[in-house]
Amino acid sequence: MHQQAQLRLRKDEIEKLGAEAFVVISLDTYRTRVFKEENWLLGGGKGPFGKEKSIVFATPLSDPAGRASAIYGVSRRALRWGSWAENYPHWFVIDRKGIITYVLKPTFGTPTAYQDDVDHVIKELEKGAK
Amino acid sequence: MNRTVLIACLLLLATTSQSAEPPSPIEKYRKLEFPPKEENFEEGWKERVIADYEVINSAELPSLRAALKDEDPYVRAIAAYALGVRSDKASADAIAELVKNDKEYVVRIRAVEALALLKMKPEVIELAQKDPEPGVPFVAKLVAGQLKSEVDYAAQIREAYAGGIQREAIGSAALGKPAPNFTALTLDGKPFELSSVLGKKPIAIYFTAFDG
Repeated sequence: MHQQAQLRLRKDEIEKLGAEAFVVISLDTYRTRVFKEENWLLGGGKGPFGKEKSIVFATPLSDPAGRASAIYGVSRRALRWGSWAENYPHWFVIDRKGIITYVLKPTFGTPTAYQDDVDHVIKELEKGAK
Repeated sequence: MNRTVLIACLLLLATTSQSAEPPSPIEKYRKLEFPPKEENFEEGWKERVIADYEVINSAELPSLRAALKDEDPYVRAIAAYALGVRSDKASADAIAELVKNDKEYVVRIRAVEALALLKMKPEVIELAQKDPEPGVPFVAKLVAGQLKSEVDYAAQIREAYAGGIQREAIGSAALGKPAPNFTALTLDGKPFELSSVLGKKPIAIYFTAFDG
């Protein structure tokens, strides 16, 4: 299932932990807003959130020069449409002390990419919340 | 005789070393591997990040304009994007020509982005929405709204690049280590510092491609 859909499904659990989720896009604020609000890939369906204005629950952050993405080691690592336009998707979990406790890089090793990613992330957030 | 030859060689060497100029940002970019060999993929990405910054921040406008006709499509692509970011309206016709006629879709995509940043040639962006390569219409549709916005997105990107990037900071986030701070922008364009939430609550960050 799509990452943002998985995250939306688990919104209550994340909020209950007192945690916060961010989604960083290596594009300007216009395109980040489109990502958040227009849901080309997810909106308008018959699923449980089909009528929501935005399925993106995480706080979106625009990273126009890919600087944050480079610091976190995910920039310019994925060829897309023949260029280095975007991030290679990764999850990072940071605990209450500000320590990175989990890094998840998709392997595309299963028929449904990212299938269990948010399960792993929430498990790590639970540990990080203690 | 031998001494004369030796002196001549030394003089020639000195002259050569004095006239050797460092490669321009475009020349450095041209030397990157596209696509990279597998053995260079892990290490080479840092060079790609740095090369991007150099082209956007410091390539001379005439060299960028000339690079729109470069033989290397990746050089044409970065030149088009950089000219958009640099708000070089004088390049709009040449960039529009790339959107319409460049044989490489990677160039057409970057050229469409550049026109949107320039807020020029809406008819060409509309035309790009009918491009046979799926990535081109996707991006053309995505950026079409930028033309109508009052926000100067090119300036926003320039400002972000102008902050530069330290080589040692690239890839510094590591498991078991304190999370490095970063600055990003909220949807209303305000700066956000990760440090403002670090150490206060557990955090999950997903660095995504546009469709993820």
